[in-house]
Amino acid sequence: MTLVSPLGDSVNHQTKKPQGHSLWHDARLRLQRNKLAMFGLLFLICLVVIALLTPWIAPYNYDSQNLALGASPPSSKHWFGTDTLGRDQLTRVLFGSRISLMVGFIATSVALIIGVLWGTIAGFSGGKVDAIMMRIVDILYALPFAIFIILLTVIFGRSLLLLFLAIGAVEWMTMARIMRGQTLAIKRQEYVEAALTMGLSRWQIIRRYLIPNALGPIIVYTTLTIPSVILLESFLSFLGLGIQPPQSSWGSLISAGGETMEEYPWLLIFPGITLALTLFSLNFLGDGLRDALDPQSAKD
Amino acid sequence: MLKLILSRAAQAIPVLLLVILITFSMVRLAPGGPFDAEKAVSPEVLENLKARYDLDKPFYLQFANYIANAAQGDLGPSFKFPNRSVNEMIASGFPVTLELAAYALLVAISVGLLAGITASLRANTWQDYLPMSAAMLGICLPSFVLGPLLVLLFGIWLEWLPVAGWGVIPGDKILPAITLGLTYAAYVARIVRGSLIETLAQDYIRTAKAKGLKPARIVLRHALPAALTPVVSFLGPAIAGLIAGSFVVETIFQIPGLGRFYIQAAFNRDYTMILGTTIFFSVLIIFFNLLADIVLAWLNPKLRFSGAES
Repeated sequence: MTLVSPLGDSVNHQTKKPQGHSLWHDARLRLQRNKLAMFGLLFLICLVVIALLTPWIAPYNYDSQNLALGASPPSSKHWFGTDTLGRDQLTRVLFGSRISLMVGFIATSVALIIGVLWGTIAGFSGGKVDAIMMRIVDILYALPFAIFIILLTVIFGRSLLLLFLAIGAVEWMTMARIMRGQTLAIKRQEYVEAALTMGLSRWQIIRRYLIPNALGPIIVYTTLTIPSVILLESFLSFLGLGIQPPQSSWGSLISAGGETMEEYPWLLIFPGITLALTLFSLNFLGDGLRDALDPQSAKD
Repeated sequence: MLKLILSRAAQAIPVLLLVILITFSMVRLAPGGPFDAEKAVSPEVLENLKARYDLDKPFYLQFANYIANAAQGDLGPSFKFPNRSVNEMIASGFPVTLELAAYALLVAISVGLLAGITASLRANTWQDYLPMSAAMLGICLPSFVLGPLLVLLFGIWLEWLPVAGWGVIPGDKILPAITLGLTYAAYVARIVRGSLIETLAQDYIRTAKAKGLKPARIVLRHALPAALTPVVSFLGPAIAGLIAGSFVVETIFQIPGLGRFYIQAAFNRDYTMILGTTIFFSVLIIFFNLLADIVLAWLNPKLRFSGAES
């Protein structure tokens, strides 16, 4: 967080204190001490880099079949084995991770944007507007969303874009609640009242006080939303309602692997482990970030 | 107390109507009629079909009719299987899903409580870290990974338990119940641990210790009821998750429950079945949230008197 005077000029850049520890600096130190969170971060960085480079580094072509080979157990040529059509499982898991991660990031961004705007507007408006907006969130919370997404996929077909929007539209509500809480807390601060008295517009207050102050919880909750989004996508793909062939995500690979696990268990185990490790890492990183950025809320 | 129940129930009705309106409009506004993809039928047959499913009337009349019928418990005929009604399919699938969910809840509560209590009493020792790491594993391992892995281990490699089915071979209900319940056991364990550690630090627990009560009595009689509030408020919404989870578990273990029917209806584009089941699930979820609210008020006298307004 940067220290900012009500008139808007940044103070901490002019006053150079030699041992000045910013909140972010402290948070980074706290995070670095958390080994599980650092492991999660490392794993995720590797995963993202590999996923980005997959088209160039994947050992085989994504859908090149080798029917003569068929399903073969893991070997030096095929680290994760091959599936029933002789396709390299490692390549398929890597390409699947591109889809799963893309859904994770894009749908989370959709949720983030809706949630932050909704919560901020509700919190700042107060009164009736706030009551109505938060009542809508309460109502939506009570709805069976997994069922609604299935309904959406049935009606509008199974497209990737719809998946992003539908999942994003489901996951924004907790973010809205968090943002509203932050907005209300900050609105009551005396320095914000002072700023209002000095004639700063609401937008300026949001930009200068609210966003820097709320950034910690936003980052934490975003990190924790990504795994639930990835899980939701895998859930749909597992049921056959998400990603459609020839594309594959972790969910559809697990579903296919589950069908043949009796003969070819590696087809289930490798995508399953990759998904579980990713969810682990994101959850550990999210918990670690919460401890680091928001020590008061880190009780459990 | 009665006031609270009534006010919560009154809030649930508009929510339910909203759900029905959204679902109904989505299904009706979907591109392509339900009979488009089938083999071409003569105009007369099409008219008859439309009349049977009320499609020849304007939207608001369709909706009013549907609500009127649904209020009397009639969810109409299935699009895909014209000789079966949605009611019949729910009646045949729901008892199975309910039984599965009940066993899963049993697993979740018993395993979760046991692990949570152990961990909180031995906080920051290996008896805490071990169950809590297992709980983290349980949360991160989704049921569609856990289920097949359990089948692989206990069904195929060890051959201890049947790999699929429901009520056919003895013991075939064990793996589905564990698969569905373990994730919730993990959540319950984490919640119980956190809340019990907090409760055990309270003054009245120290008083109970000073009175010389047995440790077991202190935990079970004095600390646990107070610590259970967050578990109950978790379990209400967890029902929604349990229903979604039953889709997966019923698919993995080939259980003829409502979740499996729902997925099949989604594949078949059986609109009335989807509509009816969605409404049915919504009623269930709203009902269980209501139930959780009431139990919470009963557990916590503070809410009993002030909760009605909030």
